[in-house]
Formats: sequence, C-alpha cells, structure tokens
Amino acid sequence: MPEEAGPSMQRRHRVTRLVTAAAVTAGLVAALGIAPAGAQKTKALPATTINGSGATFPQGFYDECRASFKEVQPNLTVNYPNPGGGSGKGRQEFADQVTQWGASDAAYPSADLSKIKGGSFLYVPTVTAPITVSYNVSGVTKPLKFTAATLAKIFQGDITTWNDAAIAADNPGVKLPATKITIARRSDSSGTTQNFTGYLTKAAGSVWKLGTGSTVTWPEGSQGGNGNPGVSSIVKATDGAIGYVDYSDAKATGLKFGAVQNSAGTFVIPSTAAATAALEGVSLSADGLYDPLNSPNPRAYPITAPTWLLVYAKYADANTAKAVQAWAEYLVGPCQKSARNIDYAPLPKAWAKTTLSRLESGIS
Amino acid sequence: MTTTMVPPEATLRPRKGTGRRRFRSALATALIVLSFVLAFIPLLFVVIYVVQQGLKVFSWDFLTSDLPFSQRSVEGGIGPAVVGTILITVGATVLAVPLGVMGGIYLNEYGKTSKFAALVRFLSEILTGVPSIVMGLFIYTFWVLPRAADGFSAFAGSLALACLMLPVVIRTSEEMLKLVPHELREGSLALGSRKSRTIRTVVLPHAAPGIVSGALLAVARAAGETAPLLFVIGATQTANWSWLHGSNTALSVQIFGNANSPFISAQERAFGAAFTLILIVFIATTLARIVTVIYTRRTSGAGG
Amino acid sequence: MTQVLDPAPAASASPPPPPLVGGPKPPGLLADRVFRVLAVLAAVMVLVVLGLIIWVLLDNSLEWIRTEGLGSLFSLTWEPSNGKYGAGALMIMTLMVAGIALLISVPVSVGIALFVTEVAPRRLRLPIVFVIDLLAAIPSVVFGLWVLRQLAAPLADLYASVHDAVQGIPVLESIFGDPSASGLAIMTAGIVVGIMITPIVTAITREVFATCPASQKEATLAMGATRWEMIRGAIFPHSRSGLVAAVIIGFGRAVGETIAVALVIGSSQTLTENLFAPGDTLASIIANQFGEASGVQRSALIGFGLVLLAITIVLGAIARAVLRRSNRRLGVAA
Repeated sequence: MPEEAGPSMQRRHRVTRLVTAAAVTAGLVAALGIAPAGAQKTKALPATTINGSGATFPQGFYDECRASFKEVQPNLTVNYPNPGGGSGKGRQEFADQVTQWGASDAAYPSADLSKIKGGSFLYVPTVTAPITVSYNVSGVTKPLKFTAATLAKIFQGDITTWNDAAIAADNPGVKLPATKITIARRSDSSGTTQNFTGYLTKAAGSVWKLGTGSTVTWPEGSQGGNGNPGVSSIVKATDGAIGYVDYSDAKATGLKFGAVQNSAGTFVIPSTAAATAALEGVSLSADGLYDPLNSPNPRAYPITAPTWLLVYAKYADANTAKAVQAWAEYLVGPCQKSARNIDYAPLPKAWAKTTLSRLESGIS
Repeated sequence: MTTTMVPPEATLRPRKGTGRRRFRSALATALIVLSFVLAFIPLLFVVIYVVQQGLKVFSWDFLTSDLPFSQRSVEGGIGPAVVGTILITVGATVLAVPLGVMGGIYLNEYGKTSKFAALVRFLSEILTGVPSIVMGLFIYTFWVLPRAADGFSAFAGSLALACLMLPVVIRTSEEMLKLVPHELREGSLALGSRKSRTIRTVVLPHAAPGIVSGALLAVARAAGETAPLLFVIGATQTANWSWLHGSNTALSVQIFGNANSPFISAQERAFGAAFTLILIVFIATTLARIVTVIYTRRTSGAGG
Repeated sequence: MTQVLDPAPAASASPPPPPLVGGPKPPGLLADRVFRVLAVLAAVMVLVVLGLIIWVLLDNSLEWIRTEGLGSLFSLTWEPSNGKYGAGALMIMTLMVAGIALLISVPVSVGIALFVTEVAPRRLRLPIVFVIDLLAAIPSVVFGLWVLRQLAAPLADLYASVHDAVQGIPVLESIFGDPSASGLAIMTAGIVVGIMITPIVTAITREVFATCPASQKEATLAMGATRWEMIRGAIFPHSRSGLVAAVIIGFGRAVGETIAVALVIGSSQTLTENLFAPGDTLASIIANQFGEASGVQRSALIGFGLVLLAITIVLGAIARAVLRRSNRRLGVAA
C-alpha cells in the first residue's frame, strides 16, 4: 500500500481491504461449509444442558459429534452416558421426559406409544454401520464368504465344524480346517442382536429357527460376552470362534470378518460405503423410519443396522427446543463428514437433506 | 468387661492335650491359619492387578481433568467421577447410617419383641437380598420420574445407595447392640441414668466398633455399586458439585463403561478409576476406624 | 453415703427419709423422651421406605403375574421372544451360586474370625482388620473384571482337569460335567460371590466371637481343654445366633450380587446341574436384559426382585427354625 497517500485515501484503502477480506471469507465459508447448520448460522445459543441416553451402537459417533459440537456451540452441553444404557432404556427415559432426546436402534412397540408423555415426536435417522460376521480360523487368510442360510445354520448350532459341506460350498477352493465352531454371542440384551437375528429371519426364512429379539435362546455351548467388546474378545481368544460384532468394534479389536451374500446375490465385504449403499436401496418413510436389513441394492452390505435419534416436536422450554434442534441438525448436517473416520457410515445425501428440512420446521 | 474388638485375655492357656485331641486341635489351628491365607490370596492378586493397570494413567492431572467425550480419546481424566462418587457416597452415608443405627437402637432397646419391631426387623432382613439394580429402579420411579428433566442428580444416587445400605446397617447395628452384656445396662440404670443416657454413654460406646464395622462395609459396598446409579444420575463430562441438581457421574459407572471398550485408552482409564476408588474407600475406612478408637477410648475411660 | 432405713424412727429432729417412689426424678427427662421419639421415628421411617420399595415392586410386576399366570410363574422356561417368562430355572441357579458362595465364605470367615480372636498375636489384629477392609473396598465390578480377564482361563483348565478326574463316578460326573470353554460358569460366579461376601460375614462373626465371656472360655480351659475344644465348647455355643445372622446377611448379599455375576456366569438360561456350565441368576439377568426390555419382559424382570425377596424370607425362616431346634436341644432359652 502506498504510504504517501493522504488520510482519506488510506481510509478508502482500508475499507477496500476489509470488504475484500469479508468477501473472501464469506466465499470460503460458503464453499467449505464450515458454518454450523441450521437457521442460526453463527448465533451462539444461551447456556443449556440437554441430556440423552439409549443405544450403544451409535455411541461412538454421537460422542465424537458432541465433542466437535462443543466448539460450534460452546454454551450448549450435550450429555450421553457411557455406556448409553440400551435402546429400551433410551426409549423409556425419553418417553418419561427425563431426557430431552433419545437414541434407539428400533421404533417404539405400538403398545408403548401411549406412554410417551411429551406428545408427538420425530424419528431422526443419523448414521448407520455394518454388523460384521467376525471369525477366528487359523490357516484361513482370505475373507470367507457366507450365505444367509449357512449363517443361520451356524448360529443355531446345526453346523458344528468349519470344514462342513455348506461352508465349503460357499467358499470353493478354500482349504477349511476341521476345527469345532464356537458361537460367540451377546450375554446382555442388545439392539445388535435384534438386528442380526432380524436379518437372519428376513434372509434365511424358515431355515432360521431362533426368531428375532434383543435376546434369543442360543444353542448350548455358545459363549456369551458382555457388549460388543465382550464378543470380540471371545472371538479373538478362541480358535474356531465366530460371532456378530459392530463394525467399529471389530476393526478396533483387529478381527477378521467375512463377506455376506446380499439379496442381489453378490458377496459384499462390510464397509462404510456398502452400509450407505444399503440405505440407498430402501426408502425413507415420511416419519423417518426405514429398514435396511437385506437391502436390494447390489452394492449393499445386507447386515446393516439402523438407528434413530428421538426428539420431541414441542418443548416447554424455548432454550431446550433450540438446543435440541441445533444438536439434531448438527448430527445430520456438518457432523456427517466425521462418520467415516470413526468407522460409521453417513446417511445418503438425499436422506440428510430431507431430514434436515424436517428438523428445521419440526421442532419448536 | 472391656470393649469388643479385643477379647479379654484368658489367663489360662489351652493345654496341648495328648494323642487324638492334640492332633485335632493342631489341625484346627492349621485350618484357621489357612483360611486367613486363603482370604489374603485373591485380595493380593486383585490389588496387584488393579495397581499395575491403574498406575499407568494415575496422576494429579488424571484425577482433576474432565472426562473425555469419546472412549477412543487418549486425553482426559476422571475428575468429575471423583467428585460424583464423593458426593453420592457421602450423601448416602449421611442418609442411611444415622437412620439405620437409630433403627437398630429402637429394635434392640425399645421395641424388642413388639409386633411393630418384629415387622421392621422382618422387612430389613428380607431387603438385604434385593439386587442393587432394583433399588435403582425404585428411586427412578419415585424420585427421578416425577421431576422429569430435573430428575437426574447425585442426590437421587445417594437415595438409591441409602436404600441399599439401610437394611444392612439396621441388622448389623441390632446384632452388635445385642452383644452388649445386660449387666452393663443394669449397672448404669441402677446408678440413676435415664435409658437414653445409658444407651448413649454405655451401650453405644461398647457396641461402637461393631456398628462402625457394619456401617463401613455398607459404605464400601455403596461406593462400588454401579447398577443402581445407571438409572438415576444421568451423565456429565465436567465436574458437578451440586448434590441436588444436574446429572452427575461416578467412578463405578466409569469403570463399567470404559472397561468394556475395545480401545486401550478407555481400558486404562477404567483401571485408573478403579485404583482411585479403592484408594478413596480405603482411606475413608481407615480414618473412620481411627476416629472410632478415639471415641471409644474417650467415653469408656481407661482401656480400649 | 448409704442411707440405713431405721425401722424405729427416733424422735429426733430429722424427718423420715422420703419414699423411693414419687421422689425427685433424675434429670434429663425431656432429653430421654426426645431420644425415644427419635428412635421410634427412625423405625417408622424405615418401615415406610421398605414398605414403599415392596409396593413399587409389586405394582410393576403385576403385568408379569397376570400374563404368565400364578401357576407357571416358576416354570423352567425363560424365552421372551416366544412369550415364556418362567422364573424357575433362574431361581434354582441363583440358589446354586449362593450355595457355593456360602460354602466357600462361611468356613473361611469363621476361620479368619477365630484367627483374629484366638490364634493371632495381639499385634497382628489391627493389620488383619485392615486387610479385610481392603477386600471390602474393592468394587464388585472390579472383581468381576479381574476374574473375567485373569482367572477365567486358568479356571477353565481347572474345570477340565476335575471333569476328567471324576469320569465314571455317577453323581459327581454330572455335577462336574463338560466345562465351559471360556471358564464362564456357575462355579466361577459362586467363587467370585464367595470372595465378595467374606468381609461382611467375617466382620459380624469376629464381633460375635470377641464378646464371648472370658468366664466361659476359662471354664473350659480350667477343665484341661485344648484350644479346639475350648472353641467348640465355649465360643461356638455362645455365638450360634450371631452366626446365623451373619449367614443370613451373607446370603442376602450373595443372591443380590448383580454386576460381578453378570460378567462371569456366561448367561445361559437353561437349567443345568453341571456347575462348570454357563448359567444365569435372577439378579444378573435383570442387569443384562433390563436395558432393552419393555412390556411383559420388563415387568417380569422387576418381578424377579420380588422372587428374591421371597427366597430371602424362606431362607431366614429356615435358618431361625434350625437355630430354635438346636437351642432346644441344648436347653438354652431362645
């Protein structure tokens, strides 16, 4: 800048610089999308605490987003217990209005709908992830392939050794040892069990005899572990073990998992892309519910688990309403890009957009 | 007659006996010593394990930093959990111990065989068997639910733990009071003391070590309880010093949540929290025993 | 100064001594009354709290009782996905775990108490009390985790050896049957719970033994008793009712232990007589399944709390009946 210029000239230069800087910044902000989501783009909300509880399946993602959300809205405190407590507990506490938002891997059973004290509420899809079929078979290096029928027979105890004909038929050319199969399953009730058995019921039909539920009666000799890490450690420690484990826990424990055949016939390895593909293959209903199990999309991983945030349409306290809205919009908006880094799969972009507009008009 | 903890020294010594009698006595002595060693072994292993794992992360920073948001985080400490455990456990003790000891006094000194006393005794005894998780559910229904958004709090946690402690404190207090010889009471009454004075100055000091033992064990158990707190205290990342308002967290809950995680940092935090909890409880127990010895010495005159 | 009652009152200046009744009362009447009221109030409050707990349990279990029907409340099948909510198998396995725990804990606790009061040199007594306190300070979840991570695998090997050793012996063969591969079993849970109830049983037992009057002990010793005979002859008879109380409290804690059992018992709800197989208890299944339960299953899990109350009542009654019997035999007033 020329230093000989007069005072008014300097002022004009300063203004020009400021305007240019502002324009560039606004452009950057718009381009990189680093402004917080929602109508109040950078307006800091007053100090409020909102408590949530429920499913442990999405906990890793919610925890990560709570941390980054604190930087976007420093006055808001979003709490989530460790461990989350379970989908059933989350639904109960949300219905009792003890928490302001909830997390559940399943919709309310119709009998419970009348017990929801806060009036109408929204199911908000936030994230998804595969449920892996992890195993520990010495001598097998390449990922094994599993059909739904074979998985059903293994987990109900009909197939007892790894070199069984059914497994060999799914895996031509692979040398399978005669090791005994040890089933690793959950000792605590869980949404993961519900989704895994739900998939087997859908995909294996009458072959699967144990039904669906947060707990089922597993065959004698099966080993129960507490939580996903409990099952992972059983699989890791036992030669011949096979179990169902959330994708992020399986990766963190370093387990080997197999490719599962989806309804289009393709054997798909679990990955975040395949999980998002599963969602793309099914429709998102107007109330936010969807069912990605055994999705028809050819690129889909068939054992993909859904989960939802629960929020009320109306809150008595205006600050709480704004806080919950900001939190939900953050999850479905800017925080989606953090999902992959921690082994969760983001929503399909179209779903995120629809959900965002539902939230913008839906909470007051 | 002296106080309970140290039995009166028998001035006669046991004979060694002969033959089979001698063998049986020696065998009994050996088994007695063995049982002490047996109790010591698991304790030794557990403490070594916890100390080994816990010392990896234990530091002043660890004790005072806020909890990390995510299990996979390598930063953060358990400060809020220490605050929560202290608030909740001290609160539970304040609620349960005076009530329980007075209840025990009522049962043994006033109520005795009346129908009302029999009912209280019966209820206390059967409630020693209720799983802790059920107490958590009870407080959730009675205290948290009516308060909705303001429901979770350290006070709710104290209530749940106090419900757990109460039956045990009442039962052990009554048993310890029963062991006080009648001659002591009668002597005091004969000297013209009122009943309450007798209880306060003669019976209680005599039974104090036993009552305190029972109470301390109840407190130690309460400090380590996880299940009931999961229903009533909510969660927080930062220390909440308010007993009555706002969700809180506790060391036992953090141990449970973090130990079951596939991330090494979380597991280390869990054992750091376990080590901290054991340390706190042990220090508190020791202090309480020292205070009891001083109180007993002072009120019963010469001799401990 | 002692007052000697003079039957023939002298015609002296001093008036007859006042009668012992109706005279000046000792000081502190108000304080005494207040104390008594406080004690009664405490008992009333206790009654209210305990009563409320039972009422809430009953209220929440009604759905289960109505759905399952009183007849099959104790059926052996627990399969919520098939609409079966029987508590029977879990009750029996709870008793198995508690039984193992008491079998381990009571002899050890009695031994420790005897060690502290009779055998150990006086200087060791306080350190031993500290050791037991330290054991009590360890949270149940930590115990569960330690057993899960460090003890389960060696225990699995131990179970395998015992199982091989009793091959061919009829009853033992099925009790010590095919062991669980991970060591998570009913026996493992029994061991953990046994360790955990030892501090409270020891504390009560120790106090009871310590208050045995010296005169009784010296009486046996004067007749030439050995140490063991003195214990059997003087200490045990004095301590029976206190011991029963200790066992009942220990049993209560054993059946109520939740998290430690949930971690190590293997969670299988099928009834089995094989102690080395996985099982489940009433308390641990509540902990494991409550988070996801709703409707009848939730009501059933709360009902299990009631079942545990009933079990504690029955055991207390049995223990007291046994005590009365042996009191009668010894000619002691109850």
